[in-house]
Amino acid sequence: MSITLDQVTKQYQGNPVVNDVSLAVAEGEFFVLLGPSGSGKSTLLRTIAGLTDVDHGRIMLFGRDVTQVSAREREVGFVFQNYALFRHMTVGENIEFALRVRREKSAERVRRRKELLELIGLADMDDRLPTQLSGGQQQRVAVARALAHKPKVLLLDEPFGALDAKIREELRRTIRSVQRELKITTILVTHDQEEAFALGDRLGVMNLGRLLESGRPTELYSRPATRFVATFLGAANLLLRREARSGSDTPIDRTPTPGEQPRREQEVVAMLRPEEAELAPDRDSLATSFLGYGHVEEIQFTGALERLRIRMGTEEAGRNAEARSRAVAPVLIEVTRTQPEQRTFPLAPGQRVAIGTRRIHVLPTPLSSFTVCAETQDAADRLLANHWLAELAARMQTRLTAQIEPGLASPEPSPGDAPAGVAVVAAGPGCAARVRRLLNRGVTPVLCMPEDAEPPGRVVVHFAGQVARRATLAMTASLLRHVPAEAVFLGILPSGSPERTRTAGVRQLLDVRSEAQAGHGLDVRTELRLGDRIEELLRELGSQPGQMLVLGLPDAGSLPDNFEALLTQSPGWPVLLA
Amino acid sequence: MNGFRQPSVLPGFGLTLGFATFFLSAVVLLPLAALILKTASMSWADFVRVVLSPRALASYRLSFSTSLLAALINTVFGFIVAWTLVRYEFPGRKILDAMIDMPFALPTAVSGIALTAVFAQNGWIGQYLEPLGIKVAYTWIGVTVALILIGLPFVVRSVQPSLLEVQRDLEDAAETLGATPFYIFRRIIFPTVLPALASGFTLAFARAVGEYGSVIFISGNLPMKTEITPLLIVIKLEEFDYNGAAALGFVMLAMSFVMLLSINLVQAWGRRQLVAAHR
Repeated sequence: MSITLDQVTKQYQGNPVVNDVSLAVAEGEFFVLLGPSGSGKSTLLRTIAGLTDVDHGRIMLFGRDVTQVSAREREVGFVFQNYALFRHMTVGENIEFALRVRREKSAERVRRRKELLELIGLADMDDRLPTQLSGGQQQRVAVARALAHKPKVLLLDEPFGALDAKIREELRRTIRSVQRELKITTILVTHDQEEAFALGDRLGVMNLGRLLESGRPTELYSRPATRFVATFLGAANLLLRREARSGSDTPIDRTPTPGEQPRREQEVVAMLRPEEAELAPDRDSLATSFLGYGHVEEIQFTGALERLRIRMGTEEAGRNAEARSRAVAPVLIEVTRTQPEQRTFPLAPGQRVAIGTRRIHVLPTPLSSFTVCAETQDAADRLLANHWLAELAARMQTRLTAQIEPGLASPEPSPGDAPAGVAVVAAGPGCAARVRRLLNRGVTPVLCMPEDAEPPGRVVVHFAGQVARRATLAMTASLLRHVPAEAVFLGILPSGSPERTRTAGVRQLLDVRSEAQAGHGLDVRTELRLGDRIEELLRELGSQPGQMLVLGLPDAGSLPDNFEALLTQSPGWPVLLA
Repeated sequence: MNGFRQPSVLPGFGLTLGFATFFLSAVVLLPLAALILKTASMSWADFVRVVLSPRALASYRLSFSTSLLAALINTVFGFIVAWTLVRYEFPGRKILDAMIDMPFALPTAVSGIALTAVFAQNGWIGQYLEPLGIKVAYTWIGVTVALILIGLPFVVRSVQPSLLEVQRDLEDAAETLGATPFYIFRRIIFPTVLPALASGFTLAFARAVGEYGSVIFISGNLPMKTEITPLLIVIKLEEFDYNGAAALGFVMLAMSFVMLLSINLVQAWGRRQLVAAHR
């Protein structure tokens, strides 16, 4: 591996800007770091160059630990968004700057300078001043300058940001061919997904300081694991669907056998790319599997493609009740159609169409949507008014609804649909009873929230038994992709446990780390405690404000009595139970 | 004339040029012309006698050498002060920044008296310098100290904007290319701020040559030793020797003009050299 990052963290005034990022880039690879502005991608790049120091973690270049090595000695080439050329020097002098610093002989300098000018296609510009060049030419010079000392790694920080579209594409091609020719390991930072697809052998998508996913462009586009990557890499419709709990897809138009309980189903988030949707006059003329009916709301002509927005209504979802409960409340679906598709079935606004899906990808996230469960409308409104919950749902681009059940806290089972997705209940007195009722009905996960909960800065993760391990890690991974907080996994062993058990405990912690990394691309820190499980958790959560707990229960579907203390503390903290 | 016309937010080129000429004439050129006229009313022999008298020659030497020295010192330290103010964030930075302008606002006589109090043999600093054999007050050193005080803001205020302009990215770029901090300063930062530094030096020097109020208190005004030219002029005035005062004034004016002009020419030449070298 030529570039290896191990749990790199950088904080500014206590907020993690880069949060536990681990990454390996192979030799000669072109890796693109993609993310919105403020996602920490530029900071991460600067830490690799040594221009920004890290608070935690290690950086290795070609097997050498350079975490404490200054930028001067890291032998990397760096290209800045605003070119950063030395304006009082000519193009040639700019390019040979690194060689002059290294006291190379003048003949060698001239040779290398000619070679690089040739490489970037500016052979006759040697004596110009940077101010006499166009933006695109200046950036070429900056690339040549960064390559002069033959660095092993080239880092580019939004190099096309200040250029217009045409020059951008030209320069993109130049950089790609230069990279291929020199076979230099390259990381490029951008917020433009088109650029990322065009350049990267592999992409990494960052948001809120975390590296969410990395992989080949086609892989990430067709099979993203997270909502953010699904919607950031191209357009995507995120749909909430109910599926059999086993994981296999239930055909959506299946007629339920009488008396069948919909309880053993779970809600999932499915991604439908606009180009994977099919439109037809009615259900029978669809060549693909039927999703529902909708009305054309907007048609936009964009040249090669036609972009439509279709509003799906619950009344259109189908005739039987079960199908209705499966379909999502009215949603807008974005569809793109090619010219031939437009010609065979021309559409006008307001027209009713049947929507079919060629390919649907289910995201492996256990946090599909949020349903606030409360006895009264007032109580539900107070929870809905919590700005963090609203922000979380908005970040996940998912639904946040309320379900009023007067008998929620009473032991008698009440009729009514099990709430979909994550059930949210108010923390404090009565919380344990509510949680028990929901768990009994097979509802997981459950989020206990103090009404005045603040966005957490630290997430404590713990599971009380191996059964809950997978679910807890999946939930933590899904949550942390939308929460800019550090995560700590706590392993707790009874105090006075024998040496053998302790070793096993440590091994278990390491397993958790590697499982989180391999299965979810998530980096968590781990700590081992000795003592009573509940006491240790209470101490940890009480030690500083702004924390949250993700807790895997020892036995799915029940809440042990001693766990109640974690839910009823005041002032409390959010607890996500699996 | 039409070739100079360019659309602008201020009304009419003719109007603004006329105003500029009138304003400059009334405030600057007319008094200077009066000075020259006054001088011209002397006979050549009288003029030579006054401006080349040993006392006058000694005062020129003192005035111009201390001014040059003070301007040079200000260039070095003013740059450091400007650097500190621009590059670092520390408590009291805003206050320090505002204090830089104090010598502008303070009546120069006040700063002269204050300096004398500090540097006199029994003053706060003077009493410690005395045993070392260094006398500041009533010597040419005192004159230089006074001129440093009044010239500092000129350098700081000239350099500050151009230091703000040196992008951090340039330094980062140089660092990734392997440059040491000193190399970065010498090859990147210094060339960028050099023009501003030169104009700061010019301003501080010009101001020092004409300074009167703060110097007379600390210099002791010993003829032939610590007497600056502006003081000599005032002495002439007090003796009702208006022609003599005008003659000395004329000489100062001429020398200052020649020096400022040559500094400007050198600067322009340097800029041309820089550009020419890159062709």
